Amino acid sequence: MSPDSSENKARRIVGRVSRSEFVGRGVEIQRLIAHPFQKEGPRGLLLMLAPAAGVSELLRQAYDHLFNHRGNIVPIYFALNQTESTPVSAAIDFLNTFLRHYVAYRRNEPSLCEASLTLNDLAQLAPPTDFEWIDKLVGAYNRERFSNDDQALVRFCLSAPQRAPRRLERPFLIVDGVRLAQQPDQAMSFTLELVRALTGSNLPFALAGLRRHIREALHRLNVDFDSIATLKLGKLSEADGSRLIEHVAERHQVGISEETRDLLAQQLECSPFFITSIFQAAREKNSSLTTYRDCEQLYVDDLMGGHIHRLFSSILESIVPGAETRRALVRVLYEAAVADNRRFSFETWRKQLHLEPDQFEKIVRGLHIQEYVNWDGGTIEAGVSRGPWRDYLKIRYRLEILAEPRALIVGDTIAAFLKRAPGTMARHYRRVASLALRDIVSKFDGQRVPGSLLHYDEFKSQYRGSSVEEIHAGLDAETELIRLPQVIHLAGCAAYNPELEQVCDEDRCLVAHAFERAIYTDANEVVWLVAELESKLEVDLDLTQVWWRRLDQIARDSGFGRICIWLVSNEGFSDEASQFLKERKACTSSRQQVAFLTERLEEKPISGLASTADEFVMVLPMGEDNELIAANAAEQIARKLDFQPEAINQIKTAVVEACINAAEHSLSPDRKIYQRFRVESDRLVITISSRGIVPANIEAQNGEPGTPTSDNLAAATGRRGWGLKLIRTLMDEVEFERVDDGTSLRMTKYVRNSSSGAH
Amino acid sequence: MEESTGSSVRSHCVGSTTVIYASDYLNKLSGEKIERECKRQLDLGCRALVIDFGNTELVNSIGISILLGIIDIAEKNGAQVVFSDVNRQTVELFEMLGLTRHVVLARDEHEALSTLAGIRTSVAAIGS
Repeated sequence: MSPDSSENKARRIVGRVSRSEFVGRGVEIQRLIAHPFQKEGPRGLLLMLAPAAGVSELLRQAYDHLFNHRGNIVPIYFALNQTESTPVSAAIDFLNTFLRHYVAYRRNEPSLCEASLTLNDLAQLAPPTDFEWIDKLVGAYNRERFSNDDQALVRFCLSAPQRAPRRLERPFLIVDGVRLAQQPDQAMSFTLELVRALTGSNLPFALAGLRRHIREALHRLNVDFDSIATLKLGKLSEADGSRLIEHVAERHQVGISEETRDLLAQQLECSPFFITSIFQAAREKNSSLTTYRDCEQLYVDDLMGGHIHRLFSSILESIVPGAETRRALVRVLYEAAVADNRRFSFETWRKQLHLEPDQFEKIVRGLHIQEYVNWDGGTIEAGVSRGPWRDYLKIRYRLEILAEPRALIVGDTIAAFLKRAPGTMARHYRRVASLALRDIVSKFDGQRVPGSLLHYDEFKSQYRGSSVEEIHAGLDAETELIRLPQVIHLAGCAAYNPELEQVCDEDRCLVAHAFERAIYTDANEVVWLVAELESKLEVDLDLTQVWWRRLDQIARDSGFGRICIWLVSNEGFSDEASQFLKERKACTSSRQQVAFLTERLEEKPISGLASTADEFVMVLPMGEDNELIAANAAEQIARKLDFQPEAINQIKTAVVEACINAAEHSLSPDRKIYQRFRVESDRLVITISSRGIVPANIEAQNGEPGTPTSDNLAAATGRRGWGLKLIRTLMDEVEFERVDDGTSLRMTKYVRNSSSGAH
Repeated sequence: MEESTGSSVRSHCVGSTTVIYASDYLNKLSGEKIERECKRQLDLGCRALVIDFGNTELVNSIGISILLGIIDIAEKNGAQVVFSDVNRQTVELFEMLGLTRHVVLARDEHEALSTLAGIRTSVAAIGS
């Protein structure tokens, strides 16, 4: 068989499913596969996982691809085996895996990858060109093994990949470190050695692990983050989760319906592990999952004693080895999760568990890594993880703490889950149909939009009965623009007041910390409180007042200074409600307004000097009349747009003034002026930027442009400082864009034909 | 007629009037050269200044602020100032910044000299 035959390319080696059955993570797998071939950039790739997000199959698929690719990369896949409970045994397993995968690749014999072979076997199986170094490595290992220095042995084993001779083929280590997080004490020491070995070598590697665990290890080792790229792995999307369920159901020959598929996707949080667990259980029991009842019965069964139960139990056992303490912890965790206030001091919990500080710290650290709690070093926040973990915890609490009969718990729990299923699906449907406020708010970014989009009463009076085209035209013509703030942090309201979970879905009620005009001063700081209200008709005054009070209360409780409340509903607000909100300077929008707003919010281009096809970018040193070069460039570009000669002269003068301002006021460290000329069909947009000092009054300078006259120009302070005022007179739109360092002035000139004679 | 390029600014005197020619770009440096030449001519007894912008394509706000300074100095010395051959865009800038309130604009050097001669005649008539 030729190495590149199509059959070879599809071989399943360590993957548990074929490539065609692997669902989702398309971008991630491409990134992973491409990583070892990168000539420049970070050697390491960290895959930072949310708990239960699933990564094992992704790594296995990448391995299979690289193995079958037969390039000059030798893939090595290593996953910590749970039976290897000490750093030494884990390291020996690593060495064995490395040699097995190396030899398998060199011999192009996939079956060796999963074979049970000793190191001596592997030396014998090595191809002639590799025999010598592998034999030497095995010999050195045999000597090291009896040295009584565990750490030296661990380091020896982990350094094996670096002992491979430097030639065309390079090992690429793909390490599944998710399980490393399950044994905090011993595993952390192995984790640290492993991370040290990976980051200290000159070989490409990919390390996957729980995000909090990996981050902690990197910080403890003071690893240079420049040498490592990261890839965040959250939950699968709902579409991918549903597709995964269909594939797994087919593979295990378990019947499902569309309804149960969607319920399972929601209930199991699209987690590949939970999904696979349920279908394995269904296959073992020869059950179908075509009704809600089937699903809940099997799910409760799995929580009581199946795969999901074993996962959570083993994690808890790894965090708290002692049975009594574990029992006490289950009590504390559950009671805290259902308490009104879910935040507790470290000391409160420690005393409840009767533990020494260092013992308790290890436990809290383990819970934090698994994201069962949030711990900031002082306060512990419980109940942050939901889904199967919460279900498991409740069952375990009833079993161990309340000592209720097992049959009662099973019956009760199935009934409870069946009763909650419609609610789970309703939340899902609402989420699908929701307005994606989170996306919209995060795109605000200081952009200006027609004011009527945020004032329902105005929008209604202007556009009721108008066609979409008419509304677009009207919005285009509006002169009253609202500048949206730049949002710097966005969270669900429930993160500020957990009681709101009962009345609103997470993505329909948000708190956005922001700065107006993207200027980071106290005066510009503002918190937007945004809520999407449910109503088939215009929201009436009563409901409006309820929501106003809720959001206002969050603001008071959280000590927010200046706030802006934005209420959104499908059909807008009644006249009384609009009046009530207007008096309180709140913003209001209907679904239709939000749709128009979404269309008008642009994705901001990536900053820097990267230019698009219709952009010219130029960097000039300050001084030496170099502003003339910029002015001449502007002239040439303006000619392409058929500007009138007079307008061209105005543009040139404005460019000159902007360059002079940049040179005079910035104390620029690099003494450079960055210029960007963007050509659009009806305008030329020029941005002049420089690094250095941000003018103290930049906010005032960004005031809405009035109509400068010779009186107010000449009355400017003294005989200098006219530049910006001149620019405002010469150009149609002038605005300071926010940049972290220095200033960036954007000037726009519209093309007008000679008949309009506006120039 | 006396011609001078001593301070890199071309100028010449017509009686007690000095005509100074601005360069193609009126900025800080070229403005200061004009200013220095104006002061020099005023010190030599010049009674009127014509600044000719026939070659000037572009002016910046620093250059304009220097022109305002020249107008001040001329006033203090009892001298008249006329700007000649100013292009339309530059006239607009001068208007925006209020220069045209303090200075007479002439189409060209000839008109400038005629205007000054007329002013002097009027002043002489009032004085007699």
